[in-house]
Amino acid sequence: MRSLLLTAFIGCTAPPVPPVVVTVALWGPLGELAPTGSEPALASIAQPWVYDKLVTVDANGELKPILASRLERVSNQQVRIELRPDATFSDGAPVTDADVVRSLESDGLSVAPAAGALVIQSRQPGLPIDALLLQAYVFRESQGRVVGSGPFAVASQSASELRLNRRIPRPGRVNEVRLTAYKTPRDAFAHTLKGDANLIIDVEPRSVEFFRDVPSLQIIHGAGRSTDALVFNPALARPDRVQLAEALASTQLRELAYGATECAEKATTPRSDVSLGTGRGLRILSWGPFERLALATRRILAARGGEIRHVTPQQALSLIAGGAFDMVTARPLRWPPGSMALVWRTGSPYNIFGYSNRTVDRALENGDWAAAEAALRDDPPAALVCTHDHIAVVDARIVNPRLGPYETLETLPEWEVAR
Amino acid sequence: MTRRRIALLLTALVATSGVLPLLLLAVFGLQILRDRGERASQEALEAIAAQAGTRIATYIVQQREMLRAIGTAVADEADAARRLADVSLDAPSLGKLRLVSTETSPRELPRMLNREQIAAALRGNEVASETYIAELSPAMDVCVPSGKLGRAVCATLDLLELQRQVQRIRIGEQGYALAFDRTGRLVAAGSGAMRAAVLSGEPVAESALASGLVNGTPAPTRLRSGDGRDVLAGWTSLPNLGWSIAVEQPAEEALRGARTALKFLASGAVLTLLISIAVGSAFARRMLTSLELEERFKTAGRIATGVTHDLGHRLTILQQIEQLAAMNDADYLPRIRESLAGEVSTLRRFVADFSDLTREAKPADFLPIELNAFAESVRLGAQGYAKEANVTIELQPAPSKLWVRGDRYLLERAALNLTRNAIEASKPGSAVRLRIERGNGAAVLAVEDRGQGVEPDRIATLFESFSSTKRTGAHVGMGLPNVRRIAVAHGGTVSVKSKPGEGSTFTLSLPVSGDQSSSPLAPATMP
Repeated sequence: MRSLLLTAFIGCTAPPVPPVVVTVALWGPLGELAPTGSEPALASIAQPWVYDKLVTVDANGELKPILASRLERVSNQQVRIELRPDATFSDGAPVTDADVVRSLESDGLSVAPAAGALVIQSRQPGLPIDALLLQAYVFRESQGRVVGSGPFAVASQSASELRLNRRIPRPGRVNEVRLTAYKTPRDAFAHTLKGDANLIIDVEPRSVEFFRDVPSLQIIHGAGRSTDALVFNPALARPDRVQLAEALASTQLRELAYGATECAEKATTPRSDVSLGTGRGLRILSWGPFERLALATRRILAARGGEIRHVTPQQALSLIAGGAFDMVTARPLRWPPGSMALVWRTGSPYNIFGYSNRTVDRALENGDWAAAEAALRDDPPAALVCTHDHIAVVDARIVNPRLGPYETLETLPEWEVAR
Repeated sequence: MTRRRIALLLTALVATSGVLPLLLLAVFGLQILRDRGERASQEALEAIAAQAGTRIATYIVQQREMLRAIGTAVADEADAARRLADVSLDAPSLGKLRLVSTETSPRELPRMLNREQIAAALRGNEVASETYIAELSPAMDVCVPSGKLGRAVCATLDLLELQRQVQRIRIGEQGYALAFDRTGRLVAAGSGAMRAAVLSGEPVAESALASGLVNGTPAPTRLRSGDGRDVLAGWTSLPNLGWSIAVEQPAEEALRGARTALKFLASGAVLTLLISIAVGSAFARRMLTSLELEERFKTAGRIATGVTHDLGHRLTILQQIEQLAAMNDADYLPRIRESLAGEVSTLRRFVADFSDLTREAKPADFLPIELNAFAESVRLGAQGYAKEANVTIELQPAPSKLWVRGDRYLLERAALNLTRNAIEASKPGSAVRLRIERGNGAAVLAVEDRGQGVEPDRIATLFESFSSTKRTGAHVGMGLPNVRRIAVAHGGTVSVKSKPGEGSTFTLSLPVSGDQSSSPLAPATMP
């Protein structure tokens, strides 16, 4: 009887979910995982699993508390938050106001305790607090290590591998993640196809074909946050820039540079009243993956298409700083709307092109993104050409893999493993 | 043997002689069908491979023709470099085009063309590298004449489209195509599980076959594929490009149709066989029933004839005795008494013979019997009859005990019957011998006489019912058939050897049982 009951009990118990280790294939130097840093490292994709932010954004671009239990917007530059009382770091220490102050101040924010809450504002006037908060992780130093309060903690790190374990294992979820750095994309792809790795991100559309019909993998897409663009030299006259933006942010250029289906933008009918006028040929500065965009741009510009210089990113930065260009290929942030301020607001550290427009600045300061966009259309700093989807390839046993909305792999801790 | 068993045997006989050859024919037919199905699948795969090969060759030819046309048209223009750069927008498959001359720095030269090839290109020849994997897709470096000596137009053909073409070939649900370069390196794979080898350059199971094919060694059409499955394959090679194409489909899927047909046909054949067995069995049983009925009537007729004859004979004798008694002569009284006693004895045996026929042997009730002791019992039982006939009975026992299992009563009836027959056949003063021995794994009780023997033409029917020719009135012809019935019921046999004028030996053979000496049942003696 006892064995019968035992059999019945075992029979009624759900089978255990086999553990799934997610191994991310990356290429290039892995770098150090740190919550801050001016040089982005490949290891930084693990930031959202190890460190928490006070807030993040949902798919609609609205702020959503993580470490904060309460969020009150005082102004577009200032928020008041209360910390979640149960949050702890991976070393067991509770997350305190002092940790938040220390962490955020290194990210260009000033934090002041006020009656059981924290008042946070940007140190750089005019930059909306949303955009800065989305970049700021909370951390503390513990025994020579920087620890976070995220669901994962670093288990080990070498030059080519970073291992992370979930602090409190959860059944049916990913409890172990490894970041593995390979020398080349080819190695990363080959090892993923071979099964040594089971997650690869930033897959170009032309390479997706490799992963089709591979039974152990699935291809997933996420909306892109930045757009391939031609940023104009602010010295170009506004009417010229308006005409150029009309001519270049066109279906024709998109199809020429990327093909008919690669961009998220909808097809538009070309305007017949666009005239690029006469004048000298416009110099196009190009770097990295934008060679084809530059060539297509020159063709669209026809007689106004001038010399193309394809240079390294460092050379491009130097030429931009010297103003030796008429337009430069770039991939500025476009989402969430507050990020516009980082790129286009006068004096923003990310505004390397030197664009300045008071109407835009005012709208950004007021958090009126629609007005800011309208002002940018009126005095365009760039022709926004093509927003690519993020494409990733992930283990087929994950039932709900999603990318974004902000960091590419920020939802990984919530991914469920098939039973 | 029961009627059911006979019916089944008859059916099996019919099936073996009639249906089985048909079934064998069907099996051969199915095998041929299977082979044909496999061949047809392989031919289809070969056709697909050839088609893919043609497409690939055409694609390469077109790309190189386009490059030649561009080289001729653009290379002499003043803005040739810019126009060549622009070409990649319209013909992305040509990759990045550039003018190459003696001035070009080595860094700008196509990386898979060697110095001699570049020199040949600058002399106005068209040169091309082998295909190789550039970054993530196959590529080929090609230089074509520019129309001016000392200058060539070079391009790195992006063969991603070929890779896509190969990957998109689908045969059924699981079939795919593979493309190999001259060395057997996989350059495109429709099988997702094998695609890692495209990038890693690791050989797959088909690599050696592919490089062999380019060199003229035929590749097998059924093999174990790189992903470990049993596949049918069609091959083609592109000698100019150095590629070979394999189109594979798991045998299980490729032959599914043929297998389904085979299963259907095989099931049909088995079903037909079962139906024929069932129908045959039913008909055989019906036939046997009617035969048995007929046989019963015949038997009843024979019994009636025998009984009428024998009882008629007895009746005649009794009528004579009655006439003798009617004379009321006291001198005849002893004779009358003696005759009546004889007739009573005869009629008693007559009844006993019939009584034996009604007793069935039941193996479940068999008991161990030691044959030496049993024979002694038989000897004693027949002793009185032998004495009357002035015949002696000798017993020759086996050297050791010999056990059988059986119905003692029936076996005694059988043995006594043989012994009495032997006594009757013997001349006065002669001897009947009971011999016990083990022979051919059986326990044997042989009854020998030195009488007249049996005529050879009678031996064949000796054990059939009512075949006795003695017709003395004391025999209804049921004795020997009954002996045979008893022997068979015990799993044994009865046989006869006889020479006219020299005597006969009737042999009762029974299966030997194990040593039963420990049996509590002591050998019985005849009452």
